[in-house]
Amino acid sequence: MRWVKTAYNWLELRLQLEAPIKEAALHPVPRRTASWWYVFGSAAFTLLLLQIVTGILLAIVYAPTAGEAWNSLNVLNHQLELGWFLRAMHGWGSSFMVAVVIVHMMQVFLFGAYKFPRELTWILGVFLLLMTLAMAFTGQVLRFDQDAYWGLGIGASITSRIPIVGGPMVHMLLGGPIIAGATLSRFFALHVFVIPGAMLLFVALHVWMVLKLGVNEWPMPGRIVRRSTYLAEYNKMTHEDGVPFVPVAFWKDAVFSGAILAAVAVCAVVFGPFGPGGQPDPTIIQAVPRPDFFFLWIYAALAYLPPSMETPFILIAPIIGISVLLALPFYASEGEKSWHRRPVAVLMLTTIAVSWGVLTHLASFTPWSPHMDAWSGDPVPVRYLQHATPLVRQGAVVFQEKQCRNCHALDGSGGQRGPALDAVATRMTTDQLIRQVLQGGGNMPAYGKNLSPAEVNALVSFLETLHPANQQPAADASRREVESAQSSLGSAPAK
Amino acid sequence: MSDNIVHESAQPSATDKLSVSRRWMLLKLGVAFNGLIGLAVATPVIRYLLSPVKKDEDYLAWVELGSLSDYPVGETRLATFINPFRQSWDGATDKVACYVRRTAENEFQIFAINCAHLGCPVRWFPQSQLFMCPCHGGVYYADGSRASGPPERGLFTYPYKVVRGKLQIDAGQMPTFANTAKLVNIENAKGNSPCAG
Amino acid sequence: MRLRNVLPAVGAFAALLIAGCNHMPGAPRAQELARPEDQLDFTALYKTNCQGCHGVNGKNGAAYDLSNPEFQALIDDENLKMIVTLGMPGCRMPAFSRQAGAMLTDEQIDALVKGMRQAWLKPAAFGNDKPPAYDDDQKGDTAHGQLLYGSHCASCHKDSPQQQVTSPDYLALMSDQALRTIIIAGRPDLGQPDWRNDKPGQPLSGQDVTDIVAYLGSLRNPASNAAAPAAPVR
Repeated sequence: MRWVKTAYNWLELRLQLEAPIKEAALHPVPRRTASWWYVFGSAAFTLLLLQIVTGILLAIVYAPTAGEAWNSLNVLNHQLELGWFLRAMHGWGSSFMVAVVIVHMMQVFLFGAYKFPRELTWILGVFLLLMTLAMAFTGQVLRFDQDAYWGLGIGASITSRIPIVGGPMVHMLLGGPIIAGATLSRFFALHVFVIPGAMLLFVALHVWMVLKLGVNEWPMPGRIVRRSTYLAEYNKMTHEDGVPFVPVAFWKDAVFSGAILAAVAVCAVVFGPFGPGGQPDPTIIQAVPRPDFFFLWIYAALAYLPPSMETPFILIAPIIGISVLLALPFYASEGEKSWHRRPVAVLMLTTIAVSWGVLTHLASFTPWSPHMDAWSGDPVPVRYLQHATPLVRQGAVVFQEKQCRNCHALDGSGGQRGPALDAVATRMTTDQLIRQVLQGGGNMPAYGKNLSPAEVNALVSFLETLHPANQQPAADASRREVESAQSSLGSAPAK
Repeated sequence: MSDNIVHESAQPSATDKLSVSRRWMLLKLGVAFNGLIGLAVATPVIRYLLSPVKKDEDYLAWVELGSLSDYPVGETRLATFINPFRQSWDGATDKVACYVRRTAENEFQIFAINCAHLGCPVRWFPQSQLFMCPCHGGVYYADGSRASGPPERGLFTYPYKVVRGKLQIDAGQMPTFANTAKLVNIENAKGNSPCAG
Repeated sequence: MRLRNVLPAVGAFAALLIAGCNHMPGAPRAQELARPEDQLDFTALYKTNCQGCHGVNGKNGAAYDLSNPEFQALIDDENLKMIVTLGMPGCRMPAFSRQAGAMLTDEQIDALVKGMRQAWLKPAAFGNDKPPAYDDDQKGDTAHGQLLYGSHCASCHKDSPQQQVTSPDYLALMSDQALRTIIIAGRPDLGQPDWRNDKPGQPLSGQDVTDIVAYLGSLRNPASNAAAPAAPVR
């Protein structure tokens, strides 16, 4: 193998890379940082490389025009050997990358690693997170299907709410008056050139600073960061009780990155590529747009905000959120790093994580959306019809035909926008049911003008039967009094 | 093992003889010249980038929606048209859908397909006389007024006119909050509440 | 030497991976439908458009029992298609066709009709009997209808509120044709017999059915079917 050495020497004489690489690789890091907690950053970098490679492989087939993008994705999925696998790797790679970047950020926050002198590393990291999310969104747009089309519509609608410059910004976003060819082309440029370029630059600086400033030491309660003494303390720590980054810490990075890649590949093989869904034709109004996983929480938040708060919230909350992230290392550049002594930080992180989880979970079954096909597709549970009178049966037909089912579930199927009606008769009396149907209210439209009296009577008599066998339907106590008084007087009881 | 962890480069070399030399002056001149030319070349590019930004009326044109007989009185029908500002590579995305409600012989309401909340496609249900949005659950009455859900207002409508038995609408832009000046706001219509009726 | 042993193994593994990849569970099988109107599969169409009211597999639904072979034999393709296309005036069956402002294309409705026939139409559903005609434009004899109702229907549809079909509100939601269809073909999923078995041994004639429908129609409260803004608020 002497020729290898000769070639190496020939190259090294000219490149002179050995010394800086050795310096970077062998620089000492605090002993305890050679930990499994410190592997997320390098995993994110590995995923970035995976995205670049798979992205280039997809770009040699993908047709970035609104007219043909969807077709080319289907060619990738169905006609090219392993095209589906590359799409799946790129799609799952993006999901993993967003997840790993967020976990990395949470770890850095929890370990106080953003404190002096690593403020700028954190700030670049915030921008890298934003760019990762931007890549996820623009990537969803390039998967030019109905979800992408209407996702752009949501983006444009949000943009349009910006005061004064909203209109021009919508035009800039869409590249014209509507979502069309120009829109896809500019998102292609963003996804393939602009954001990745910026990202590579930021990643280079981010990694450079990690190498130059050293890996954050393991936080110990009581070990306070002070601007005046920290550098010397860190220097001492790494020299007296340090280990070389390669191989002591690096092998864990390598193993974890490999595991992440394997996980992406397994997901790609087992679950396959994302979409594309239906053709991006805006006249197909059966579309039920859903955002990708990492934007589900926004989707949920937008459904639950009260209308009056919505515009201020959408416009101000992101600015505040990003400002807080950027200001964090300046606000707390000194002090405790250990989570044992930072209850507020831990509480905040937990709150955010739980809120995110709840919103994402909610968005996975969208209880706020009507189920558009429930009225014609979800059958009335047979047991509710077993002993039904003809009128009650017609009431069930009215219930389906007037699309009540789109918002109200029976036996677990149907929309969840309104309450499930399996036991509605125990909650509302006949009069209350009639009033609710006719006048709506509480987020329910009024059906007064769209129902004939016969339909109302049939519908309400169906609803009155919806109660468990062992539970009496709700009744108006005073009405019972009146009716019993009337019948004891011998007059015909009015229905 | 390398020990060069902390680079203390904060020591300025005070005795930098070149710092005031003619060469430095020339470098500054060169950089300034380069910047000037760059600026001169780049400024027009901003106009290139801003070219999609136009006044709302520049994105409006009268589009034909077919003959009146396609729209029975008292019913709401889905209509589609080709966006007048299309490009040849738009594919199917140059198509636009809208709902035509014919309230009387010569009276129409033409609703944009986009929900007034965040632009998703609303669907018309003739049985319950409601428009429902699949995204966040916005619901509108037959006259386009808000019935329930997150939207702050009723559906966007297009201006229309009838020319020689054909229905025409003034369209061309995706309706959003930013260009509703040209679209009639129907907030005042008060739903189908039996109290109001 | 070691390399020489490993390389073929790696090569074989890679070949296996590449060969096996198109049979992986994640590999997309069939191309998704480009447009909803491309859906021409009866089962899928029935699931999204019909079973909400007509029940899973066409029975035990709130609305009519489509899987009743006698119904399928009674109604012809043209009428069945017309009902899906334009709906049934006077009762809750809505129009499903594009021409009527709904979603389904002509081809999809044809697929539905054909699918229903294939699934539920049985040869010789009536045996040797000839059923009354599907529809009848004649005006019936209300008095005779009332007599027939008493002799053929009231044994079940009497007293018990469970069986009350003479409710004006119920009748306001049922068109004459809908009543006629139920009387002739029955509703086996509910135990409603067909025209032969209302009173065993005395099958109803076409005119009898018309008369019963006329009688029931006379009980209908016409005012209560108008979509009235003056809905009763109790």
